[in-house]
Amino acid sequence: MKSLTIKPTHVKNSRGSPGNFLEILFRILIVLLLLAGFLVAIQCMGGSFKLMGKGTSEALFNGVVNPFSALAVGILATVLVQSSSTTTAMIVALVGSGEVSVEHAVPMIMGANIGTTVTNTLVSIGHVRQSGAFRRAFAAATVHDFFNVMCVAILLPLELMTGVLSKIAIRLTDVFAGSSGSSFKSPVKSAVKSAYKAILECLEYLGLDGTPLAVVLLVFGIALTFFCLIFITKNMRSLIAGRMEQALNRSLGRSGLIGIGVGILVTVGVQSSSITTSLMVPLCAAGILTLQNAFPIMMGANLGTTVTAFLASAAADSSAGLTIALVHGLFNLFGTALFFPFPAMRQIPISCAEGLAERASKNPMWVIGYVLGVFVLVPLIGMWVFNSID
Amino acid sequence: MMRWLQKLGPENRSLQQIHSHFLQMLVDGRHIFDASANALIGGTDLDVIESDLFTTDQRINATEQAIRREIVVHGSIHGAATFPALLVMMSLVKDAERIGDYCKNIFQLARVGAVLGTPEQTAEMVILKDRISKVIVRAHGIYKSQDEDDAKGFLDETADISSTCEGIVREDLRSVGENRAGRVLAHRYFKRVVSHTGNIVTSVVMPLDKLDYFDEPKR
Repeated sequence: MKSLTIKPTHVKNSRGSPGNFLEILFRILIVLLLLAGFLVAIQCMGGSFKLMGKGTSEALFNGVVNPFSALAVGILATVLVQSSSTTTAMIVALVGSGEVSVEHAVPMIMGANIGTTVTNTLVSIGHVRQSGAFRRAFAAATVHDFFNVMCVAILLPLELMTGVLSKIAIRLTDVFAGSSGSSFKSPVKSAVKSAYKAILECLEYLGLDGTPLAVVLLVFGIALTFFCLIFITKNMRSLIAGRMEQALNRSLGRSGLIGIGVGILVTVGVQSSSITTSLMVPLCAAGILTLQNAFPIMMGANLGTTVTAFLASAAADSSAGLTIALVHGLFNLFGTALFFPFPAMRQIPISCAEGLAERASKNPMWVIGYVLGVFVLVPLIGMWVFNSID
Repeated sequence: MMRWLQKLGPENRSLQQIHSHFLQMLVDGRHIFDASANALIGGTDLDVIESDLFTTDQRINATEQAIRREIVVHGSIHGAATFPALLVMMSLVKDAERIGDYCKNIFQLARVGAVLGTPEQTAEMVILKDRISKVIVRAHGIYKSQDEDDAKGFLDETADISSTCEGIVREDLRSVGENRAGRVLAHRYFKRVVSHTGNIVTSVVMPLDKLDYFDEPKR
């Protein structure tokens, strides 16, 4: 006979089955291989820029000499590839190979931060049929846009006037990698270099030389970066999905610092700020996460995504790669420090996002105008105008 | 390190957590039913029970809301593949929550001093109450084990209790003379508690679109 008392139910912290455990180990191994592939991809891109020769690369990157034009390039490139990790990795490769200076790369890195926000804005459009849910979803998506645009509006002019970000980054590079003039010796670099040389020899064996070799190497590097980042994200997402869910459940309605921590951890885990910020959209749309609670998680995502640039800098040829990665980290750290501690400052992007979402929920033309304007037209016009001025 | 690794992975521990919270709602549902039915039939001190009863109901409501939040988070992270399970859970928590609501109604009958009929009729109600209490315990066990045969037997039993309650309600509604409103309402609430408990168990044997409709072919 069955007992008639119900014991309170607690879920045991069950251990995974052996099969599951093997799958986890397999996925970790895949991620490590993909990470190695990612570093090789950075090396290939850096190598291709060197192979192009000074004249070709100068002609290619002439457009980024103007900081506002470089900012527009950063936005457009990220919107196009839908991944700030890819853009920042490419920028690190460019700077690491010495083809673009840190000074010229800083606005591009800032542009990548703005460009990456388009993903969650597009995700929010999925709620357009329900006015209330769409208003909350669109506000959650655009609060990240406003925050990044405001950070750039404050920190880019400051950087242009004082060079504060690059100066601190150079100092830190000296600390981490020795004096700024020396060649940066990364522990993984020799292994990555060997793989790169093997690829180069293969391409040369196929009869490629000079500019065609550089172009093929560049295309291969970009494709490999894409491939590795996509599958790192896919595998890591699968690996940490349970932990991610626990972290999000615990952070609902909690203080901002916990939100920042969750944002950093989830983004570092899945190697994609877009995944973290896009996750906020349905949670806000359903009303279980307020904009005030989602905003710190997004700031954390901005900080967490800088890890990709640091990883990429491990394969860069010079310490300048690490410097630009540090600039990326410092930019997001300064942005968070400017907005997070002060409730009045924190409220500015939130109010802007709520105001825009209110209008957008009443008239969808605001959505179309906003997405096309901020992520396509303004950067395109900006690039054209500033290049014309130069 | 090994322990850390074992906690990673795609295994759905978070879904287990949601199930665990739901089963806790059934534990509370049985407790609130016993408390309210004892208040109505057993003559327990109402003031003693009231605070416990309302605290339990609030806990049931809070658990329902927590499960809903967990459902949204789970769906956002794991995507479309998990939606059927989450939609089922969304329906089940509502049933578990309604058990609490009907128990509050039963308690309110006790509070207003509802007349329950003759001592023999009250004794029959005590038997019925015990059956319903056991049914909730069984529902908890069946949901946990997902045993389909057990679930089918269970649904037959709930149909039997429901028909007993319905019979008493019909009979009392037709009778003239003494006030039987309290008795009618009590049996009506008993039936609703049994129906919602039965709905929960339909999830073990019925597809998503047929949830709550186990008895439809019999109609």
